[in-house]
Amino acid sequence: MREPSLEKLETIISYILIFGVVASVIIETVGIISHYYSEGNINITFEPRFALKGANLFIFIGSTFQDFLRGSFTSLNILNLGLALLMITPYIRVVASVGYFGMVRNIKYFFITLLVLAILTASLITH
Amino acid sequence: MMVVLIISIVVGFLGALTGLGGASILIPILVWFGVPVKYAIAAGMVAIIATSSGSAASYVREHLTNVKAAFYLEIFTVIGAIIGATVTTVIAPRLLYFLFAVFLLTSFYGLSGRLREEFPEAVVQDRFSKWLELDGRYYDQAAGKEIEYKMTNATLAGVGMFIAGLAAGMLGIGAGAFKVSVHELLLKMPSKISSATSNFIIGMTALAGASVYFASGLLFVGLAAPMAVGVTIGAYVGGRILNRFPNLMIRYLFLVIVFTLIIQMLYKGVTSQ
Repeated sequence: MREPSLEKLETIISYILIFGVVASVIIETVGIISHYYSEGNINITFEPRFALKGANLFIFIGSTFQDFLRGSFTSLNILNLGLALLMITPYIRVVASVGYFGMVRNIKYFFITLLVLAILTASLITH
Repeated sequence: MMVVLIISIVVGFLGALTGLGGASILIPILVWFGVPVKYAIAAGMVAIIATSSGSAASYVREHLTNVKAAFYLEIFTVIGAIIGATVTTVIAPRLLYFLFAVFLLTSFYGLSGRLREEFPEAVVQDRFSKWLELDGRYYDQAAGKEIEYKMTNATLAGVGMFIAGLAAGMLGIGAGAFKVSVHELLLKMPSKISSATSNFIIGMTALAGASVYFASGLLFVGLAAPMAVGVTIGAYVGGRILNRFPNLMIRYLFLVIVFTLIIQMLYKGVTSQ
């Protein structure tokens, strides 16, 4: 028999990854189509306004959501949101794993996943 | 964007089948199409996240990923990636190409010597691997039976994954080839579990790398968006058919791709300024 708690975690992780990827792909596709209608082409340009940039990823995601809350549905914002969602997906699956191992009181893997989360968070904040 | 989209679909498919992140194939193709190399690398990092997450979702659902091994190994590969990315800022690019070829050559040599072995033989676990609960079972559709496996050499595999992370950070790739080698040669992981677990880990390594490019302003949405969409579609298709191939076929495909990359990196090392 497989470990039942592990199967639950695998299901949770699978849903997180599927949701993150599917949602980001849909948003990106909408963004590309929207970009075509607003710019009149789908050529790739390297103008500064098309560069993703922020103090760190968390601040970037926050500001992207704030733009949406303010009703700014430009193609650039839609594309930014899709990429931000994609980038944050692996991070969320670690957060979920830490929470899950904590809930099932698997101390060993709680600390292992917590260590992964701490290293990753430090890397995302300091860059 | 259409050309980038189509290329990305093909690369995503190959990445899912072989356990490679795909960026090592995608980056040189984009450069060939005239995309500045730094922009290609930056967008490639995001594409790796998409490839990894897309195929990992299928593998995890089919219980082909050993998540405990993945979490343990991620500690080392993420630390390695951060240090590797820092080293890259001070090292000559030409040296990176040769390092790339050398580390791929070790993967090629290690795996080609084990082509006859479909599944690892009875493995005696060391104490640390047992403590980490590094074991599992999965149903292999090609073999038509449930395969039970145990892993060993967890300490050495940690060192191996640190080197894999270092290479990934330095070279801007997922280092899937090296990770698969560590899984199979050190941990004694079955090749199908190895490919699936490698995909799972690569996403985390790529996120750490992508954060550096994000902060540098090298990440362009017009390039990254079609790449992300394309590799996700390709990875989804590849992930769904992986379990229908025999282990040996996957390994042969893997070796052909690794060999091609070795030649490519040596060529770039010789011709770059």
